[in-house]
Amino acid sequence: MLNSPRFSNLFTLPKQLCKELLIGDWLIVLTGILGIVLLFQTLWTNEHAAKVQIRLGDKIYATYSLNQQREIHVHGPIGTATISIAQGKARFAKSPCHNQYCVHQGWLTRAGQAAICLPNQISLELLGETKPYDSLNY
Amino acid sequence: MRYLLIPIFLLLTSCFEEPLYHSQSYVFGTLVDISIYGEPDARARSLANQVLQDFQQLHDRLHAWKPISAGKPSEIGQLNATFEAGSQPISIQPDLATMLADAKLLSIKSEGLFNPAIGHLIGAWGFQRDEFGAVKIDDEKIKSLVNAKPSMEDIVLEEHTAYSKNRAVKLDLGGYAKGYALDYAAQYLRQTGVKNALINIGGNIIAIGQHGNKAWRIGIQHPRAPTAIATVDLPDGWAVGTSGDYQRYFTLNGKRYCHIIDPRTGYPVQHTQAVTVLVPPQATQETQAGVLSDVASKPIFIESAENKSTAAQAFGIDNFMVIDAKGQIFVSKRMVNKLNWLSTDVKFTTIQ
Repeated sequence: MLNSPRFSNLFTLPKQLCKELLIGDWLIVLTGILGIVLLFQTLWTNEHAAKVQIRLGDKIYATYSLNQQREIHVHGPIGTATISIAQGKARFAKSPCHNQYCVHQGWLTRAGQAAICLPNQISLELLGETKPYDSLNY
Repeated sequence: MRYLLIPIFLLLTSCFEEPLYHSQSYVFGTLVDISIYGEPDARARSLANQVLQDFQQLHDRLHAWKPISAGKPSEIGQLNATFEAGSQPISIQPDLATMLADAKLLSIKSEGLFNPAIGHLIGAWGFQRDEFGAVKIDDEKIKSLVNAKPSMEDIVLEEHTAYSKNRAVKLDLGGYAKGYALDYAAQYLRQTGVKNALINIGGNIIAIGQHGNKAWRIGIQHPRAPTAIATVDLPDGWAVGTSGDYQRYFTLNGKRYCHIIDPRTGYPVQHTQAVTVLVPPQATQETQAGVLSDVASKPIFIESAENKSTAAQAFGIDNFMVIDAKGQIFVSKRMVNKLNWLSTDVKFTTIQ
């Protein structure tokens, strides 16, 4: 097939491409491109594995997969906080803050859920396939 | 073919990178979250940083109990010291005079339920500290602080000077300053030509424009769970504010004491978990949406269930939601269609 006159010139003479391709060929090219765009959108931008994003002060400290069992120690302005990750959920396990609001928040399980420790300037946010909202009113 | 590829690449990249700048910082004693849409990243960053710097300055000036540095009280601290000492007028900054005049008007409108003059009461409950905890409740002290009737009407403002006719007046702008900062930031960003932004100061939010081709979407915090209870779309110029018993509180003998104090009794409110108000843009000469969103939720929070609608009407608030101490949800008629519940089993009662 590649020896046929229609295709033998294809690589050496790109300018002829437009003339040589028939409507059906164009449809195949377009369908291919469309397929790639759709695959990119579903497989790349929407992460299937949910993650937890830890922020310290005004910086993103780290982002971890939730598919693991792990303890993370983050050093904030008033001391070290311990964050637990356990198979799809995350929480403040220990915090040096006075009121322990962050620890009392308990496990975060769904995308968009967040826990903030104001005194120690650490926040957790679960990231999912889509962000349910732009900002949280509380 | 080359000409065909260029738009395809543009299409592909536009799928992944939207022109959204987002920053989170701890200023104003809380978490400040700024989103700017549709501006080059560097410009968005420098504008957001300017806003944060201005917030920090405002925070230092208006702080109710923390001096700017040793021996140098905040402007509010200085004013409070003067009020306590007697009725000698002192000069104040023009913008502070405007704020106080506005707060006075709002306080009168709320029949004293929004009362930034009860700093002594807030202090007695231990909330004028960074690290507060359960306090020993001194009923006698609370009684005498209430009987001293500190009121915004005691403050006399003349030609950028102020004095108080009542020595018991102690200003705490904790229920006003964040709203003021929201309006300030919104105005600043609009003046610099920003078309789309979302500013969140400690949970109080104001919207400019929208997020691409959609309205800015806000999650409303559940008062007893680490999740949003509903979302609401915030159109251009609208603001949203919540007063909750879960932001600053302590528990004593199994009872929750939150930072929202009923000025009539001197005790923290215990019949309500949260009140959320949605505020449309206001006329230029009126109190702006940010301030209203901060202030208007307080009287609704403090009033008893049967008077909550009246408290909302006093500020012309049509859109509000109340969650009472039992977790029962009440939504104003106008607000019902604006809320998108995040779980299917939410039960609520329509009011007004």
